[in-house]
Amino acid sequence: MEITAQERGRATVLALRGRLDFDAADGAGDRLDEVLARPEGVQGLVLDATDLTYVSSAGLRVFLTLAKDASEAGIPMAIAGLQQPVARVFEISGLSSARIFDIRESVDDAVEAVTA
Amino acid sequence: MSMTNPSPPPVPAPPMSLVEELCLLSIEDDGTVAVTAGEPAFGMGVVGGCLVDLSLRGRLDAEVREAEGDEPPETMIIVISTEPTGEPALDSVLAAVAEGGEQSVVEWTRQLFPQAGTLVAQALERLESRGIIEAHEARFLWVLKSRRYPVIEGRELQEAKLRISEVLLGGAIPSTHDSVLIGLASISGLLRGFLSDAELRRLEERILEVGSLDLVSRGVERAIEEEIAFRARAMMVPHM
Repeated sequence: MEITAQERGRATVLALRGRLDFDAADGAGDRLDEVLARPEGVQGLVLDATDLTYVSSAGLRVFLTLAKDASEAGIPMAIAGLQQPVARVFEISGLSSARIFDIRESVDDAVEAVTA
Repeated sequence: MSMTNPSPPPVPAPPMSLVEELCLLSIEDDGTVAVTAGEPAFGMGVVGGCLVDLSLRGRLDAEVREAEGDEPPETMIIVISTEPTGEPALDSVLAAVAEGGEQSVVEWTRQLFPQAGTLVAQALERLESRGIIEAHEARFLWVLKSRRYPVIEGRELQEAKLRISEVLLGGAIPSTHDSVLIGLASISGLLRGFLSDAELRRLEERILEVGSLDLVSRGVERAIEEEIAFRARAMMVPHM
């Protein structure tokens, strides 16, 4: 699991690549915590899931925890580029319809949504 | 001058498990347990609580596998570690899952449902050992013995209700633990213990939205719905 950060205007875009399973969940959670705790702050957060190929139950918890932390910190957050079968896992777990995540088709849409 | 070692700081109690909180929510004001483990919604909910607790403690994980044809996809349980947690209810479920080979959440929930009474008893014992409830033998009509579990201080129960209320009424994003607690408590009818019928009707959409945001918990809910539907059909079959 690889996470790379890129600034797009006032938004921080985190690109997720690979498998988010039990083995990767802790490391991914720590990496996302680091980004949220940046001293310069985060104005808006976009998770680019275009290259995320697999997510397990432990991986889904990383998303839910991040959404909770970002909400409590007042940081708007969106997810972009969910591909099958990851989108299917979001749907089955109820996370797609929970209005917890702002799920967008493209990274551009998501950046616009979190910085509007 | 005598030197005394400073007393060590108190060790914080481990957080309550889902099974413990479900059992705590099932206790009425008079100490009786409102539901029985034989009822699918509560009994299977307790099994599901154990599966999710084991997942939250890094013993299990779950993944979606597409089925062939028109069958719905299955969420399969994956064993990550067989290291005991020290909680009897969780460890008996972990041992069964580790020995039983790969199966779906629905299958495990069905298969472990007959053990729900034991799991509830183990969770109640643990609540008693933590000083949260006390067990009393009572007699009904001086003949039938029944057990009551009055809540001692109620701090833990109030804390669980507060967390649920913050999510349902305050719009907070739940943790996985609280989301699953809301989902399983709702399907078991335990939210009626502190929310009125009018409040439950008003919050119905929110409960569906934020409850059981977890693959394992969704599988458990499916098992409960299928079992209830199966029992309803069985009741309607005319006796020959």
